[in-house]
Amino acid sequence: MSNKDDILKRYRANVREKYDMPDLSDIKATTYPNPLVQFVKMTEMVGGQVIEVDSGRDINVLIKELFPDAKEIASNLPEITIATRNPDTVGRARDLNGTDVGIIRGMFGVAENACIWIPQTMKEKAVCFISENLIILLPKSQIVNNMHEAYKRIEFDNEYDGYGTFISGPSKTADIAQVLVMGAQAARSATVLLLPD
Amino acid sequence: MSTAHSNAAKEFLKNQTYAKWHDATFWAVRTKRDNMAYGLDEWEQLREKASAIKRHTITHLDEYLDQFATKAEENGCIVHWAKDAHEFNEIVYGILKNHNVKKLVKSKSMLTEECEMNPYLEQHGIEVVETDLGERIIQLKGQAPSHIVMPAIHLNHDDVGELFEEKLGSEKGNHDPTYLTYVARLSLRNEFLTADAGMTGANFGIAETGDIVVCTNEGNADMSTSCPKLHITAIGLEKIIPNYDCLAVFQRMLCRAGTGQPTTTFTSHFRKARPTANPMHIVLVDNGRSEWIGNPEHWEALKCIRCGSCMNTCPVYRRSGGYSYSYFIPGPIGINLGMLRDPQKHSGNVSACTLCNSCQTLCPAKVNLGDQIYMWRQQLDEFGTANSQKKMMCKGMSMVYGNEGVYNLGTALAHWANLIPSPLINCGMNPWAEGHKMMKFPKETFHSLWKKGKVK
Repeated sequence: MSNKDDILKRYRANVREKYDMPDLSDIKATTYPNPLVQFVKMTEMVGGQVIEVDSGRDINVLIKELFPDAKEIASNLPEITIATRNPDTVGRARDLNGTDVGIIRGMFGVAENACIWIPQTMKEKAVCFISENLIILLPKSQIVNNMHEAYKRIEFDNEYDGYGTFISGPSKTADIAQVLVMGAQAARSATVLLLPD
Repeated sequence: MSTAHSNAAKEFLKNQTYAKWHDATFWAVRTKRDNMAYGLDEWEQLREKASAIKRHTITHLDEYLDQFATKAEENGCIVHWAKDAHEFNEIVYGILKNHNVKKLVKSKSMLTEECEMNPYLEQHGIEVVETDLGERIIQLKGQAPSHIVMPAIHLNHDDVGELFEEKLGSEKGNHDPTYLTYVARLSLRNEFLTADAGMTGANFGIAETGDIVVCTNEGNADMSTSCPKLHITAIGLEKIIPNYDCLAVFQRMLCRAGTGQPTTTFTSHFRKARPTANPMHIVLVDNGRSEWIGNPEHWEALKCIRCGSCMNTCPVYRRSGGYSYSYFIPGPIGINLGMLRDPQKHSGNVSACTLCNSCQTLCPAKVNLGDQIYMWRQQLDEFGTANSQKKMMCKGMSMVYGNEGVYNLGTALAHWANLIPSPLINCGMNPWAEGHKMMKFPKETFHSLWKKGKVK
């Protein structure tokens, strides 16, 4: 008998009363009069920065202004023309180490906790974590209220269908004496560029 | 009941400054949790739903496990089933050996602690590097976690600073947490880049999609799986939940309850390996769970989502620290899981509870932690772990309280005990006097006061 059969057999022999699945449709989840305002507030609270980009503004110029000293910029987004590295074409994921600014696309944001859904849309997802500073491009019309709404609409990429993540602000830790420090193992800063539709 | 926990706590209490800091720190985390909980009108409803989802899932686990494994295999993952800790360690080692792995980076996993995987792999010549900062600190220090979410909470910044000076070559005397975190970042970055494999635990496994969901603040689970060519996930059977709608409930609660944040920074869904890596392995671990489900009084401990809020609020944990417990998970949930694991070995922990029930009032999955501890206490005699001194005291008390004449005589005469010189009464022979002063008995009993109408 396989391990799986063994384990399931033992479980079936031991499990007692069975309980029904509860109805989740009646959860009275918090919504916001203006989800975008809440999203911005929460992003700042979790240590991120939000910049609303006016239509007609060149985001490449903006990024250069934000990070004037950045030497290595990684992105596979077609609208990013200042990239020096491309996560689709690097030889190995580790070649993305030393990236000053990584630029990726978010699908939608969540007002209650500043999460942004980021499906893997590049060959090496390392760019989302290995960069010193992370920039997430997000259409400002794409904000949902809460995680219930978020989990109804997350989708993985067709090509890179193995991974997706919610990111809320920069990497952080309080593991040394409970002192909050931004920039643990992943990006030390997170900037959300809210793009016009 | 035993005095094992209180004896162990003496060590913790030797440093009163630190003990006070520990208590205050966890109370602050508890307060942050309250702010988060009160910030959502639906919080109590979410707790109800979370509990009901878990009750349903863990009593239909055979179906959900089968669905999860089938889906994960369809996605291209290799799924393993481990009956116990030893089998788990063998399976993991087998995978690593097949891929000729010399160095493994791993994110935090209480399951690998439970199975004592790190020492097993190290004995077999594999270098294991913990990448959660707290876990890394205690690994360098050669210690075990003292809290499930904040594993290095028993060390202060000077302890960590001195450790890093010795192990990571940090600047002498610079014990600033921001600087030390940066030193660890650089050192771990090198480990991520040079590791042959990455391992993660799992906060949730989603039956409907086969996703492994890992929540971290540091991004270390993502770093551990972004560069190495191999990803292994370790997941306990009870971590499987049906679908994304259920996940939404738990995702909203996990971090709010555990650390008082609205979310972890990263909530990552791993469905299969990166295009440039080898297939992802998932190891499903039983190690007692399929038996615990049959325990009529304690099966609900399997609802736990390991947020740590029960220890943050526990007045005993806050004042005694993680190392005072004999099981590797401390606090209320650890007391209960330890008893399920080995009651003979861990029954000392059931004394580490005031039955205040703060834990179960807070638990996001509504595990009846305090009630369970109470129930375990009723069984100590069966386990042969009841304290004989306390048993005798209880027998004596039931004699006194069960006999009106003896009781009245005893309370009437009690005030004579006040005359016994203090050194005789507040001494080691009297366990009652340990840690607190002996009380003064009143001259006139309440009973007599009441009869004379002196009590209004």
